[in-house]
Amino acid sequence: MEEPDNIKNDEGMENKSAKQSKDPKRKANDTVSDGGVLRPLKLSKKELFKAPTVEELNQLKEAENLFHCSILKMQMEELLKEVALSEHRKKLVDSFVQEVIDSLQSVPESEVVELDDLSWLPGVEVPFLLVSLASKGKFHMEPPASIDVVGSYPLGTCIKPRVIVDLAVTIPASILHPMDAINQRYPRKRALYLAGLAQHLCFSESVGSLCYSCLHGNRLRPVLLLKPPGKDNSKVTLRIHAIPPPDFLKPSRFHPRKNNIKTEWFTGVAKKQQESSGPATPHYNSTVLGDHLPLSHLQFLSAISAQCPAFGDGVALLKVWMRQRELDQGAGCFCGFHASMLMAYLLSTHKVGKTMNAYQLFRNALHFLAFTDLTESGITLARNPDSKAPSLQDFQEAFSVVFVDPSGHLNLLADMTAFTYKQIQHEASLSLKFWDDPTVDGFQALLMTSKAMIRTYDNVFQLSELVNLQASCKKLSLLNELMDHSGNYVLSALPFILSLLQRGLGERINLLAHSLPQDPEWPVDSAPPKHKDQPPLNIGLMLNLEQALSVLERGPPADNPKADEFRQLWGSRSELRRFQDGSITEAVLWSGNSTCQRRSILLEIITHLLQLHADIPESCVRLVGGQLDDVIKVSKEMCTTGEEESLKVIQSYDDLSRKLWQLEGLPLSITSVQGAHQALRYTQVFPPVPVKLLYSFFDRKNQLGLVPRKEKPCPYYITPIKVIVHMEGSGKWPSEHLAIRHIKAAFHISLGELLYKLHNYKCHATPAYLDVYKDGLAFRIQVAYHREPQILRESLTPEGMLIYRENAEAQALELETQHKPFLTSNLHGLQQQLGCFGVVCRLAKRWLASQFLLEYIREEAADLLVASLFLHPAPFTPPSSPQVGFLRFLHLLSTFDWKNNPLIVNLNGKLTAADLTDIKNDFVASRESLPTMFIATPTDKKVSVWTKKAPSVQMLQRAIILAAESLRVLETHLIDSSQKQDIRVAFRPPLEDYDVLIHLVPQQVPLLAKAVDPPAITFQKGTFRGEPSASGGALPVIDYDPVRLYLSELRDAFGDLALFFYDQFGGTVIAVLWKPTAFEPQPFKTSLMNARRLEVSGDVATTVPNIEAILQDFRIIGEGLVKKLELRTEKWAV
Amino acid sequence: MAPSGDQQAWVIPGGFTVLSLRFSEDEAHAALHQLCVKEHRIRSESNTHRPLERTLFVLNVPPYCTQDVLRHVFSRFGAIESVELCEKPGASESSDTSGYFRPAQTQCFRVAYIVFINASGVRSAKRHPHTLPLIVSCAERPVRTGVHKWIQQYSKSLVKASSLQQHIDQFMNEFDRRKEEEAELQKQEAEQQQEDEEGWVKVAKGSRGAKTRPHSERANQRTLQKEDRKRKRKELLNFYSWQHRNTQRERECVCVCVCVCVCVCLLNFYSWQHRNTQREHIAELRKKFEEDKQRIAVLRAQRKFRPF
Repeated sequence: MEEPDNIKNDEGMENKSAKQSKDPKRKANDTVSDGGVLRPLKLSKKELFKAPTVEELNQLKEAENLFHCSILKMQMEELLKEVALSEHRKKLVDSFVQEVIDSLQSVPESEVVELDDLSWLPGVEVPFLLVSLASKGKFHMEPPASIDVVGSYPLGTCIKPRVIVDLAVTIPASILHPMDAINQRYPRKRALYLAGLAQHLCFSESVGSLCYSCLHGNRLRPVLLLKPPGKDNSKVTLRIHAIPPPDFLKPSRFHPRKNNIKTEWFTGVAKKQQESSGPATPHYNSTVLGDHLPLSHLQFLSAISAQCPAFGDGVALLKVWMRQRELDQGAGCFCGFHASMLMAYLLSTHKVGKTMNAYQLFRNALHFLAFTDLTESGITLARNPDSKAPSLQDFQEAFSVVFVDPSGHLNLLADMTAFTYKQIQHEASLSLKFWDDPTVDGFQALLMTSKAMIRTYDNVFQLSELVNLQASCKKLSLLNELMDHSGNYVLSALPFILSLLQRGLGERINLLAHSLPQDPEWPVDSAPPKHKDQPPLNIGLMLNLEQALSVLERGPPADNPKADEFRQLWGSRSELRRFQDGSITEAVLWSGNSTCQRRSILLEIITHLLQLHADIPESCVRLVGGQLDDVIKVSKEMCTTGEEESLKVIQSYDDLSRKLWQLEGLPLSITSVQGAHQALRYTQVFPPVPVKLLYSFFDRKNQLGLVPRKEKPCPYYITPIKVIVHMEGSGKWPSEHLAIRHIKAAFHISLGELLYKLHNYKCHATPAYLDVYKDGLAFRIQVAYHREPQILRESLTPEGMLIYRENAEAQALELETQHKPFLTSNLHGLQQQLGCFGVVCRLAKRWLASQFLLEYIREEAADLLVASLFLHPAPFTPPSSPQVGFLRFLHLLSTFDWKNNPLIVNLNGKLTAADLTDIKNDFVASRESLPTMFIATPTDKKVSVWTKKAPSVQMLQRAIILAAESLRVLETHLIDSSQKQDIRVAFRPPLEDYDVLIHLVPQQVPLLAKAVDPPAITFQKGTFRGEPSASGGALPVIDYDPVRLYLSELRDAFGDLALFFYDQFGGTVIAVLWKPTAFEPQPFKTSLMNARRLEVSGDVATTVPNIEAILQDFRIIGEGLVKKLELRTEKWAV
Repeated sequence: MAPSGDQQAWVIPGGFTVLSLRFSEDEAHAALHQLCVKEHRIRSESNTHRPLERTLFVLNVPPYCTQDVLRHVFSRFGAIESVELCEKPGASESSDTSGYFRPAQTQCFRVAYIVFINASGVRSAKRHPHTLPLIVSCAERPVRTGVHKWIQQYSKSLVKASSLQQHIDQFMNEFDRRKEEEAELQKQEAEQQQEDEEGWVKVAKGSRGAKTRPHSERANQRTLQKEDRKRKRKELLNFYSWQHRNTQRERECVCVCVCVCVCVCLLNFYSWQHRNTQREHIAELRKKFEEDKQRIAVLRAQRKFRPF
């Protein structure tokens, strides 16, 4: 009786748990349908404390122990689901493969012809570059001996979206000759056989498209790419390899030390004395040998993967990781096959266990890559290699990276350069670092973000017109390498050029990486592309910012034997120099005064070295994105991008601050002097530059200062640099707001008087601030009292109770006197640590302004966005050049999920992991009431002060669209060497969407010369050349910007009808956009009559905007500033 | 729609008369703004500023019409006593700040209250035909806008330190005097509340402002919390004493087996505690699991797991 009862109970439990497991899912679905926004989750106590099942316990335990948290496990599972092939897709692939196999079986036989005779192949070209024409031998077509599916598909490690199924077609032994391995005869036959197959498949109905390619950029190993017809075209690609029968050639013939290409055959010149054997041809040997082994490799991997259930998933993760880093394709890549082999190695050497899950396998693989240097000590999969197999030592000598296959004869990574492997190592160790950091979303950084070269490396140099490398091969005398690579001069010269650059750049860089030459694809009826037709080669540098921009390259002392080496490397640039410490050494001095000029030193070094040693002309080397900083150049004449100017401003401020501290005779003492202006944290787009004033240009108002003249153009704009001075708290401060303001004004006056008396600075005190004119700069000092915001919040209820209520005035004051100085000092510190922060910030803000966004995304918010790039660079490293920083800024802005995530900027690393979760939970809990763009910092965890008012959803949406588009345009422009690079494209706003354009009189635009496209004519702005005096002189016109005054009046008057857009850095157009609802007639109300016109019909009075009068008001309000109005009346009517 | 008669005033439903306003007689300024005027009639606002009979309420005053301009424009209807401009219709904002400390005005469309010396001014304004526009800026009294105006503004913003200081001194003196008076008043009241020789205290109905120290919200809350705590403690004490009495009664009978009992109890308690922490742990894991699951679902819905 008991047993059935028990069972029933159990069933009940299961049912219950099933129901409960369904419940949350439904909840989750509900939230999803709510526009994809996270909602705080509420779980009942009962649900939380119910008895767990064993299975659930196991799952929870696993999630807790093996992964950082359960979310990582789920993310991995989701990712694997996303890349795995569906059953439907598998069926499709299977049937397609079967069709192709069937049609391949029926290849007709053909007559035996000479190897050179191609007349039997009409309509199809041979996929082979004939370097040396003459070749003896016979060839004929025959059906394949066998056809096998090899590679990732049968192994189950094939991933979407590039589904490639490898088909190995065995060439019948009768076609080949045992001596074919010599002098490229075998590769030629193989290519011919492939061409024969292509010709046959051309007429097959089951094939959609047909083209040639080659395996990993190796032109001796052409492959045939087949795609199914119709709509399945993109779903799968079939890659046909032609391989010799197994054991046809003895592997020992392909020892890396052996020669298989005769020099005289290759060069066509008969040598006089016959050498016993020519130079070793390791790469050619491994090419031929590689063709022998696909079947045995598949067997080996299948055996291994059968032991480890998570093998496929682990390899898939590794493949995704490689692919995001652009390492899985092209010559010398680390492709999926290598990933499987690596995993097999780890399993067979017990570095990972058989029961580990995919995540652990992946992690261990990364760990292995990060800490094993295959360029120094190779690894081998061969358990007990036969006696003839080469030793690791042999491999090490012949190849730069060594990973020997199970047979013990083949180096799997023969084509990889040492630089690529270093890059893999760097990526792996970086990834591990991110994974161990609980504040970084490792999953996102490792597997979901693509690391395009242009966004990863600080400097990317593009080597175009690769035909020049032929000359380099000659110059570097690389005949043997050329023979080994069968005439592929790009691959032959590449390692030498790279190591040359590595030597030359030395300490300046942390990492040198290069793009892998991609596999070309060409149709079967056209000749294979030449080596010179390759797209340009990209070389990426990761800079060591401390050294990268130094103008001096100091070599060894003149008498040191190494001096010769140094002289040889640098050629005529090397000179003997005597230094201040008395030493006389060889040295190279590069030119450059400003940071901007010094940024081009790397390019100079590279072009110099390449020209000197490799005969590559200067015109072929190009720094990608080097012109980006043109848009923030201070002026046309001066070649500087503002770093030096910012520094001057800060020095002047430091001096002022010291002088303020030293003031005596104030009723209360100063407790702090803090900068609160972007120029004091290196992020002012155009830092203030001191100028000498032309006094005759201005009017004067008694002794007070200069005043602009009506008939003259608008004077030079002098930015007021805000400084907050906190006075000590004391009982003397009144507790009424108005009185406090009066006291502050009194402080302004007395500070001004003291500064004038002691240092002769021109000062001007107003109730709100004190302007100090010093070193040609204007500082705007604002006295603050720390209790003032609190007093502003106080109010008395009628019952006499003191209450504290938040109000806008108090918040604004707090922002100015507390948040801004804090941010300024923090970001100033960041610039000290990471020297590129300021310039990236300024570039980003220049872009925002040029797209009319800077008035909606505050400067401080933009600064924080850029700061997050530097503080949380995952998966990259902090940017060290303006261009890469800017591209990442655009990427961040365009891809960040503002709806579901707060952007957390961990200034000074003050937030702990627990803080981060708190912030995230708070954010989710009150998403609706928070700003659209939520930026949290250590001092502002819950409010996001800088984005509280703006941007609105629409503006943010627009910013995202513009950023994505700009990024797209810029990246294609920058990487495409054929186009003339005009990076300003991304800085010109699209004007067609706006309703009215207000064109301004250029004379009255103060920053006209800073426009994205600066005008040819410039106007006198009341300045002339020369250094201004440190003190004295009349107080100049400070902070007079007619356009800004005009804009604020427009917004005040018509803000509820229209939006106004302007580029504050020299824009001559104000773009106006009517609000969508503005034109709807509204019933007459006394509160809704502003700028409206009445329409009466019967008893009802309605109002609509009085457009004609409004447009006329645009002119009236901007009298003297507005040149003309351009109406775009497609969407509205006057 | 415009009224039929050319020389008649245009009165719309709601009682407003529509006047048209033109910036100047220049041809470039042909477009007209429509001012809606009506006599001021809201009784609650019939303070001395805006006497009901003589005040004209004007809607839709463009930003370049200052008080002076309005005074000039409307003086054709009769002599004017005062002009008041507000951002919104309603009670006048009390702005006791003067001179240098007045907050900057926003340059938006405003409403005006124009007080005529005679009530006839209001009537004649309401009769004004809509076809004869009022002119803001004429040759004799040009209204400056744009660059001209901004330069004037800039020039005006340059103030002499000495005059500013004078202003501040004046204000602070007044402020100090006011404070002293208040202090005096408080002192007097405090004196009044002192006991006289016979021990009597005079209880007077003090004015509202004379409280010695205003209660603050926070202080209120603190006292409430304190009381709450006190009450709880009291309850607990009651409970303890009851328990105590109870145990004493029991002790007499179960004196012997207590020792064994306690031991067992304690053991039970420990294992229960252990179980409990485990349960808590699992619950926490579960909660996190569910949260993560939800997060994943959202991401999945957005196709965030497609790596390429």
